[in-house]
Amino acid sequence: MIKTLVSLNADLASSIALRFVCRMAEVVKMGIETIHVEETDSEGNPPGTGWVRRTWEKGLLGTAEAEISQLINAERSSCPTLGSPKMMVGEREAEILRELEEESYDLLVEGILLSFDASHFENRMRSKLYKKMPCPLLLVKNLVGLKKIALLVEDHTDLGTLVPIFSKLFEEATLEYDLLRVILQKPGRLSFKKDVQDKEVPASGDADEMLTNVRNMLVEAGSSPQEVKTIRDIPARIADSLQEYSLVASCVPRQMARKSPMLEVLSRVPSAVLLCWQ
Amino acid sequence: MRILVAVDQNPYSAHAVSEVARLAANTWANVTLLGVHTRMSPAGAASRDWTESHPLPGAISSYRETFLKYFKEDECPYIQREFGYELIERKKGVWDELYVAKSARKELKVRIRLGNPVKGILAEAQEEEIDLIVLGCDNSHGCEWEGLSGIPQKVVNDATCSVLVAKKKKKVDKIVCCLDHDLVSQQSLEMINQLVTLHKAKLEIVGLTEGKELKGEVEQKMEAILKYYTARDIEPWIEIVELASLDAFISQEAKWGLMALWMGKKSMLEKVFPKGKVGKLIKGSESSVLILR
Repeated sequence: MIKTLVSLNADLASSIALRFVCRMAEVVKMGIETIHVEETDSEGNPPGTGWVRRTWEKGLLGTAEAEISQLINAERSSCPTLGSPKMMVGEREAEILRELEEESYDLLVEGILLSFDASHFENRMRSKLYKKMPCPLLLVKNLVGLKKIALLVEDHTDLGTLVPIFSKLFEEATLEYDLLRVILQKPGRLSFKKDVQDKEVPASGDADEMLTNVRNMLVEAGSSPQEVKTIRDIPARIADSLQEYSLVASCVPRQMARKSPMLEVLSRVPSAVLLCWQ
Repeated sequence: MRILVAVDQNPYSAHAVSEVARLAANTWANVTLLGVHTRMSPAGAASRDWTESHPLPGAISSYRETFLKYFKEDECPYIQREFGYELIERKKGVWDELYVAKSARKELKVRIRLGNPVKGILAEAQEEEIDLIVLGCDNSHGCEWEGLSGIPQKVVNDATCSVLVAKKKKKVDKIVCCLDHDLVSQQSLEMINQLVTLHKAKLEIVGLTEGKELKGEVEQKMEAILKYYTARDIEPWIEIVELASLDAFISQEAKWGLMALWMGKKSMLEKVFPKGKVGKLIKGSESSVLILR
């Protein structure tokens, strides 16, 4: 059972994320908990201690609790195991990080609306929470049917981290996935005939060895990809080619470079992005 | 729904008629096929001489036949049926032999107006209380209509109802709908629903922002729209775009086939996307354009 924490706000992104997770729970064994952290404003220092502080917190949480409960109640019919949300007051990222560590969650889920402006996603990836969180992150952008997953690997991907996490998350799931080796090209580079032919190529040479190695690790862990291929293109076109997948999984460094091509791919993927940290 | 298809004798008009026929087959809308003849005969508008030499009357007849071919004869709601004499039970035990003539369940009007095409189309739309005007254009010459530039653009700018400029030979793979306000009519949602079904296209709902975040009412409307379509087994994608990036976004998304803009009094699009820009979109874009009002 994948112990999952869904971070909710009273917004469209959270609504989409919760609905996606409920759909995912139909094919993956998941225990779902929800959390909302009400942040004080910049000058809202909590007053005093004891009952004074508790009264203050209760007042702050009142409206939020009603909104979050409404969001959850809307999904209960399709997700009957959804319990009441954990409601907290404080610094959002610190409280969620504490909850993840104390309760040993396997997965954190958040919603983020797909944005034409890639900086929206890129700024989110610079979150302090993501730099420290102990488990993988599922960022849900759109509500799509769960049909097929893309597992992305690059030459420097930490396979020792990616394969066990991916296998654990989906070991009992009835979902197909493709293993894709991604070679990211810079935009503006001339596309020669060979490159055009190589955009989606069967594995060969060193790539063959690398993909075979990953495939064997996955099989040993209990699953087998439906297709194995290499795609070589600029980030925008790779993201376009990933549109058919309901979820794109990858292993990324906690501190990705601002202009990282993989970051651009992930920002443009319109469905859900599963990230484990290397 | 009442649909007006403005046509001339060119192939793009035949495409527009086909698009409307497919839509009408699903919606049973009342339809007007309107031909507009810009040149009057020397004897004036009352003369019928032009009808003998001009290709438009023949084209319009052909369009009517094309339209009706999208329906099975016994199921077509646009055909007037006459069944002759029938025995009808007037009251228990008493029967009358009556002549039964059933009218068409839906209207298919075929009309030609002489004069300025834009004025003619808009006048017809106003008189017939049209919900949707559809017209095609020659995309290879900057969206010309009857050899004149700017006709579809002027219709779009001055119409008070929704307008679809249907570009030929562009398969609609995705319908991209942009909104920046919460006044979205049920009819427009249903229209998009029909177009998605007809074209088996994907649907994307784009919320336009002035800063980084969506306005509260726009976000709520998008949530309602998402629920509307998911209840009908359509899974739209949601995306947010800053108004400042709208030009770049449209250029990128035009490849998908149909761009829809929810405009109207509350819309910033009327300011950010003034008439000139809408005209540019219609003229330059390879995709069809639907302005929703």
